[in-house]
Amino acid sequence: MTNNENKKSPIARRKFLQTLGSAVAGGAILSVSGGLMYRAKRQEATLYWQIDPQKCTQCGRCETHCVLPISAVKCIHANKVCGYCDLCGGYYRSNVKELNTAAENLMCPTGAIERQFVEDPYFEYTINESLCNGCGKCVKGCTSFGNGSLYLQIKRDLCKDCNECKIATVCASGAITRVAFDMAYQLKE
Amino acid sequence: MKKLLIAIISLLFAVTVNAQNRFPKPDFESGYQYPDITYQVPHETAWITVDIILLVLLMSIVAWATLKKRTHKPVVAVSIISVAYFGFFRSGCVCSIGSVQNIALALADDTYILPLSVLLFFILPVLFAFLFGRVFCAGVCPMGALQELVNLKNYKLSKTVTAMLRMTPWIYLIFAILYAVTRSSFIICRFDPFIGIFRMGGDLGLILFGALLLVAAVFTGRPFCRFLCPYGALLSLFAQVSIWKVQITKRPCINCELCHNACPVDAIKPPYDNKIKETRIKGVKRIVNYFIVFLPLMIFAGAVLMRSISSNLSRANKDVRLYDMVVQHESAPQDILSLELEAFYGQGGTIEALAEIYNGIQKDFRLYSTFAGALIGLVTGFTLIGLSVKRTRKQYEIDHANCVACGRCFEYCPQNSLKQNEL
Ligand code: SF4
Ligand code: SF4
Ligand code: SF4
Ligand code: SF4
Repeated sequence: MTNNENKKSPIARRKFLQTLGSAVAGGAILSVSGGLMYRAKRQEATLYWQIDPQKCTQCGRCETHCVLPISAVKCIHANKVCGYCDLCGGYYRSNVKELNTAAENLMCPTGAIERQFVEDPYFEYTINESLCNGCGKCVKGCTSFGNGSLYLQIKRDLCKDCNECKIATVCASGAITRVAFDMAYQLKE
Repeated sequence: MKKLLIAIISLLFAVTVNAQNRFPKPDFESGYQYPDITYQVPHETAWITVDIILLVLLMSIVAWATLKKRTHKPVVAVSIISVAYFGFFRSGCVCSIGSVQNIALALADDTYILPLSVLLFFILPVLFAFLFGRVFCAGVCPMGALQELVNLKNYKLSKTVTAMLRMTPWIYLIFAILYAVTRSSFIICRFDPFIGIFRMGGDLGLILFGALLLVAAVFTGRPFCRFLCPYGALLSLFAQVSIWKVQITKRPCINCELCHNACPVDAIKPPYDNKIKETRIKGVKRIVNYFIVFLPLMIFAGAVLMRSISSNLSRANKDVRLYDMVVQHESAPQDILSLELEAFYGQGGTIEALAEIYNGIQKDFRLYSTFAGALIGLVTGFTLIGLSVKRTRKQYEIDHANCVACGRCFEYCPQNSLKQNEL
């Protein structure tokens, strides 16, 4: 707004500023979208929140911090890793006196782990997903005393794909990160 | 006691983290087969495509309705669709408002890979704002649409209060970008007041806040949009210089004030007769003085202030908090470790490696806080200058930065109900 511009009428000046503004705005849109589009094409973006089972320390926050009323994190069982033990560290509490299915002996607070006799001395374990709340107690037991075949994972069909996973902001071990489409699920096999 | 036990267990865990097969794979004699478990994967890509198509379609409908047909009714329909689909059905994530953070992070840090869908969610409403004004806000944004649908009355706040409150979206935006580029937190997502309502569950405090905003929205149009939404602030820049603009009426204004009362976002400025008589040249000099003396001063003050508190701000970062915990623990070791420290030592972390990360984050925070401070100074300065600059207006005029292109004013303007051929 220098003095020689003042000779023009305010209307003309306003018009000029408007055109200038439009040019700047249009240029900004073009350069930002062009630049980011170019980069978006080059590499596959990471979009899906997943737990790295190797890092997770079962801090218990998965149960309490998901935005959903019942967490999108569930326990997953890798049968091919499992030892099919009778004295399962994930099924029984560590100080059980009798190996029966009374609730006070069981690790899972909601009774989501079901077991079935296969043959002596093996038992097959299955997670009833609708009961599991993602507390990770069984996972802790299995990782400490067993083969680590039980682990926590964010279920893709339940997860809302929050722009920022609320559990990731409090995860004690930094185990929750975004992964690319073909890496979700991160399963133990 | 219990904590101690957990600590012991986790120590055990720390040693054996890789020794996975304590028990060998069983040899089944009964011909047992491993169960074949597959996990359901939703059709995310398909849904994202639907999202984008609907986004463009709805914005086009609004642009057509408010610029070409000049009617408000289709906008209501769009609002209902948007609240139902983007709000309740898709539960509002990722939304355009939050995408600002992803974009900022992608621009600042090229190791972050931006999904194309997020880029489109960000850039399409901006592009439409540049072409047609804030048609996204009119009814396509589920949050704006929700507030619009409950709105009944438009009590207006005083001009000064409104101008001051309109600074908050900018400051919110600046902080959101600061925390996004330092990979600390996405505060827009964390403090989203409406997501809990759309998901019908979530943080109780935020749901309450959202409900309060909605109650307020009944009596005064769109409180969230006007006084909080950071994306709206960004869009207003583009809407200000948009190619096509909403017009209240194509006929001359008769200064009846009806549109002013109808506008939910107080975007229609009444006629104003500048009483202060100063010569043109004097007025221009005064304004130039504001810009070359006052504004740089504000920017400088903001930058210095924010830089001086940058290490406090950095505590929003998880790694910074972890570093503080580790330092505290190393100087006065405790028997009972917090969950974070347990995980840190369990993963074999060392304080040296963490310190390097910590210093990197501190450096980022110093740099970006300075920028953020300068921007805050700029916004404050502009607001104050805006309050003191008075411009004579002969009739009611739309302020296109604030206009959300809802088209409500059309119905109220008596000039619009004249017959077509009288044009
Ligand atoms: S992304 Fe959201 S819904 Fe999914 S696990 Fe995290 S908090 Fe829960
Ligand atoms: S919050 Fe992190 S460490 Fe805790 S249980 Fe979940 S993934 Fe594991
Ligand atoms: S101002 Fe923000 S919340 Fe309001 S309609 Fe626009 S984008 Fe949505
Ligand atoms: S279209 Fe009219 S009523 Fe709607 S926001 Fe713009 S000026 Fe206000």
